[in-house]
Amino acid sequence: MGEFARLNFYCDEHRCINCDGCSVACAEAHELPEYISRRKVITMNEGIENMEYSLSIACMHCTDAPCQQVCPVDCFYIRADGIVLHDKDKCIGCAYCLYACPFGAPQFPLDGAFGTKGVMDKCTMCAGGPEETNSHEERELYGQNRISEGKVPVCAAMCSTKALLVGDSAKISDIYRERILSKGHGAKTQPYGWDVAYGKKL
Amino acid sequence: MANTWGYGAMTNSLGDIQNAKAIIIFGANPAVNHPVGFQHFLKAQERNNAQMIVVDPVFTKTAAKADIYVRIRPGTDIAFMYGMLHLIFKNGWEDEDFINDRVYAMDDIKAEAAKWTPEKVSDVTGVPAEKLIQVTKLYASAGVGTLIWAMGLTQHSIGSSNTRLAPILQLALGNMGKEGGGTNILRGHDNVQGATDMGCLSDTLPGYYGLSEGSWKYFASSWGVDFEWLQGRFKSSEWMGKKGFTLARWWAGAINGKDGNDQIHNAGTGLKNLFVMGNGITSIAQQAKVKEGLDNLDMLVLCDPFVNEAAILTDKQDDVFILPAATQFETSGTVVATNRSVQWRTKVVDPLYESKTDQWIMFELAKRLGFYDEFTAGMKIKENKKDFTWPEDATDEIARIIKTIGLTGWTAKRVKSHTENWHMFDQISGRGYGKMKGEYYGLPWPCWTEKHSGSPVLYNTDRSVAEGGMGFRNRFGLEHDGTNLLAEDGSAPKDSFIEGGYPEINKDNIEKVLGITLTEDEKAKIGKNWKVDKSNIIVEKCMEKGLAPYGNAKARAKVWTFPDQIPMHREPLHSPRADLVKEFPSYEDKSNHFRVDTKYISKQTEQEWVKDFPINLVTGRLVNMNGAGMENRASKYLAALSPEMFCQIHPDLAGKYGIRDKSMMWIHSPEGTKIKVKAKYSFSVSEDRIFIPFHFAGHFQGEDLTHKFPAGTAPYASGESANTVTNYGYDIVTQIPETKGGLCRIEYAKEEA
Amino acid sequence: MKKRYLALMLLLSTFLFGAKADSSIWGNNLLSNILEYDKEGSLHMGHYFTVIQSTYIQPMLLFVLIVIPLAFAAHYFIVGPKVFSHSGKSIMVFSLFKRINHALAAISFMVIIPTGIIMIFGDFFGGGAFVRFCKGAHAIASPLFMISVIPMLLTWMKRMIFSPKDDIRWLKIVGGYLSKEKKPIPAGMFNMGQKIYFWFVTLGGLVMIATSVILYLVDFELGIFTSMGLSQIDVLRISALTHNIIGIFIVAMFMVHIYMSVFAIKDAYKSMIDGTIPEEEVKILHSSYYKELQEKGEV
Repeated sequence: MGEFARLNFYCDEHRCINCDGCSVACAEAHELPEYISRRKVITMNEGIENMEYSLSIACMHCTDAPCQQVCPVDCFYIRADGIVLHDKDKCIGCAYCLYACPFGAPQFPLDGAFGTKGVMDKCTMCAGGPEETNSHEERELYGQNRISEGKVPVCAAMCSTKALLVGDSAKISDIYRERILSKGHGAKTQPYGWDVAYGKKL
Repeated sequence: MANTWGYGAMTNSLGDIQNAKAIIIFGANPAVNHPVGFQHFLKAQERNNAQMIVVDPVFTKTAAKADIYVRIRPGTDIAFMYGMLHLIFKNGWEDEDFINDRVYAMDDIKAEAAKWTPEKVSDVTGVPAEKLIQVTKLYASAGVGTLIWAMGLTQHSIGSSNTRLAPILQLALGNMGKEGGGTNILRGHDNVQGATDMGCLSDTLPGYYGLSEGSWKYFASSWGVDFEWLQGRFKSSEWMGKKGFTLARWWAGAINGKDGNDQIHNAGTGLKNLFVMGNGITSIAQQAKVKEGLDNLDMLVLCDPFVNEAAILTDKQDDVFILPAATQFETSGTVVATNRSVQWRTKVVDPLYESKTDQWIMFELAKRLGFYDEFTAGMKIKENKKDFTWPEDATDEIARIIKTIGLTGWTAKRVKSHTENWHMFDQISGRGYGKMKGEYYGLPWPCWTEKHSGSPVLYNTDRSVAEGGMGFRNRFGLEHDGTNLLAEDGSAPKDSFIEGGYPEINKDNIEKVLGITLTEDEKAKIGKNWKVDKSNIIVEKCMEKGLAPYGNAKARAKVWTFPDQIPMHREPLHSPRADLVKEFPSYEDKSNHFRVDTKYISKQTEQEWVKDFPINLVTGRLVNMNGAGMENRASKYLAALSPEMFCQIHPDLAGKYGIRDKSMMWIHSPEGTKIKVKAKYSFSVSEDRIFIPFHFAGHFQGEDLTHKFPAGTAPYASGESANTVTNYGYDIVTQIPETKGGLCRIEYAKEEA
Repeated sequence: MKKRYLALMLLLSTFLFGAKADSSIWGNNLLSNILEYDKEGSLHMGHYFTVIQSTYIQPMLLFVLIVIPLAFAAHYFIVGPKVFSHSGKSIMVFSLFKRINHALAAISFMVIIPTGIIMIFGDFFGGGAFVRFCKGAHAIASPLFMISVIPMLLTWMKRMIFSPKDDIRWLKIVGGYLSKEKKPIPAGMFNMGQKIYFWFVTLGGLVMIATSVILYLVDFELGIFTSMGLSQIDVLRISALTHNIIGIFIVAMFMVHIYMSVFAIKDAYKSMIDGTIPEEEVKILHSSYYKELQEKGEV
């Protein structure tokens, strides 16, 4: 990974088939409560010929993350690799991040007294949180930390058609560019010795 | 399929779809049912500019990715395919050489196709004539095209005709035996191919061996048991050769003709006990009858990782046993994929809690029924062992016995080495690299010998037999009505000793056909024919000569033993077109069809169904569930995606009945049953049909039965079973239920206060 | 008791969960919310919310919190407070009901305003349990304000109607607070300053309540907004901005109110305890009201 690599999600709408594999994998991996959906698949123009397409949406880990800008307690922080994380110990559940977010990513458990919003929960790109990496506390609060183990976030790993791509934005655009440029060039066989689901190791 | 060219299985593979230039999908929804496999369809579109055509009554998720979507009336695929054939023959788009060399009776098809003008097809199928022309032109001219189907084509009273005409369409275009072509049936569940290969059918022995005495004797000796002992297990020797009940209609056996139900032919007795191993019998058509059947049993045993909802459905109070079965992750063994390839599945954890593996349950059952030794004898034969190792010895036993589909090469050792080295195979062709060179991943059957590569593309004559090439199987004799049924010259696989066709090889013709002389020792060892040749000498000799042991024949478009010799369109038993019922009536009623009298024309003409039941009923799957949904609804995250049973309905249709989005509605079936479901407005369905998923159970005709679950075992989601309202109707040959083309009536259901 | 409380909690939470199942933010409308974010023709509320919330709210409040006390300090030391003797004759002005009413509102303000300020400066306080506690207190105290604001509005409304004659003159001399002289100031029972404060706090308070309910519930949909073409997320954004901006004004007003009652007019707050105001104070600061009382013969 390059020095200035920024990790990003990209969902190829030609590939996404609304199978919800990503969202279920996410919920299962992080053992989320049922009403928290860190990732969601949305479908546009459902049932309309030649108009229907789907996308998988979660926190997009923006460079200029508006959630970070509006947070009154400054609980957000952006890692060097571009992953936008937040500190649940600081978060007060005010939902300003939700108002600022273009993607509706922040989620709130309705678990406080009288149904007040609990602290915010969102996609961590499987990178945990500010607690000690791979500690019990981190696991409880933020779910798995797959990034620390060198694994692809679970949603993209589980994506059945490899519509959902994640990684260094330059690499992602390479993959996508290759998909576009190879159009009509015939089926491509994999080189001998491929060993990860994504093809070459990043 | 098997009746057309020898084997009834997917001819190519999912990966091979990437080689297609055109993809036509009839009654299948791989985006929902095979999401991972669907990437190959998408890649074919991306890399190959493959045009994807989806023919389906409902605008599915697959249709959303299609280049052309064709909304067809349920149960009219034959008319549509004849329409395509009509245009193909009219415009000379057919592959004449291929038809001449490798197909029998295409002229009969041509004559029938001549009747199906685009206008006629349009009237019957509801597809505009221009669309038919557009689709046909595109598909016929695209180069190699693959044809996909699944339950949408098979689950009709004419399902067996559907599955013959689709191959005929491919034969006419010469798309068979080619990479990127073929007829690719998508299997709906894990290891369905393996289960059918192993004879989980009521009319075959394992490996599709028939029920003749010869087959039984071959198996008796291969299993190491007495034929007489085996025969003694049946009521009398003649019952040994008779077809059993099917999954679709076992309940008729239990009801035993009571209260005007269909009569059965079961040696004068009804079914008394039912043992269910991992089958969602709550997703079988005519749920009310299933319930009646369950209620009439003496004993019911359900063996599943989760509570089989049949236990909830029945009113039976005593002698219902629920056995906790382990899942596939708690045991090991082989599984067969949809493309006939095998994989080794290793155990992940020991069986949890009190659950037991399937084999443990069966062994214990055999012990208690007193035939454990006979049951396990076959596993010890190969190495003459005292005891056996599960599942390796069982796998080797299968490899030793099953010749028909060429499982000889599937030894436990080889299968394991493939799975362990899965990264050394190409994803598209399945070809191995490095130390796996010369083999195809999972050794797709037929894998003739322990050294054979496996056959990734069936009937491919561009390869030698040793590399998985072959012609069509010689299964239906050498000639019919004076016409040669063997392939013509120049159509033999590469490197073949014989240029043209040749018959299947047996003890009598081997020397003549192969031009060899057997030694006395070989003559003594050799079996009667290639299917029962325990010595495998026939196969070995054929391999040396580059011949397929089953011969090289023509595929046949005409099956002279079937009620319809060539596939004919017949309206579904419950058709929305009364005028077409007169023109295309169903079959005569069939007596003793898998032991049950089955109604066709008498049901179809009992009344003009469309008058009272004006809406087409289509059932199908959801992406988050499979089968009866037992396991999936017990997973909270999967259940959350579809927490309740619903019905997709077009807003305009709903409006006519005063049904609002998310309000409850009743669906009534011609069988007098009904279900109460939530309406979900959708543009995926047109105004004349509704779509319901079949994964729910736990409610029955408006009544919530979930209180009957043993404490703590109720799933997260329950609902009405779609199959409570699926109609009467079974295929004339296979008896698969007609769930994809029924009728219903709907009404608004008042919410109870 | 505990059981009943639990049952109540469950009931409430099922209601909220029920609302959640048909989510208007994460459910059906998520799609249009994403598509319309900052698109041409949209309200651009997401953008405005982000900019205003991140760059203006804190400085605005900070300005209020620094400048107003400074101004008061200047006034106190330059002009000095007005002192009226509380030992002399007093006039009964506020009934017990009004006083209790005022007390309730006062208590709620004592909680709501500091906690609100803490939340806006949440980063200064480091977030976490303390700010979360303040958020809870902010929410719990607001029903107290809700139940006091309506009676307050109704009982005092008549006296709060602007009377141009007095009020404009009052404004011209800024209520006489800039001079040390004790000469009669044109004002009725309430002077113009009080009136402005009253209307701001009651009507503004109602807006605060409405927006707080919206922000509290988050996920619901009101026909009135959708009919105006507003999406739920925009309703939330507008509510948050309105709540914060009006909130800052109320903070400013509240500070004036406190300064007036405690410092500018020495011991004036006592009138809200025993209900009486020294006759001299009425005579000077509420001259018109004094005349009115004289005419009625009540003094």
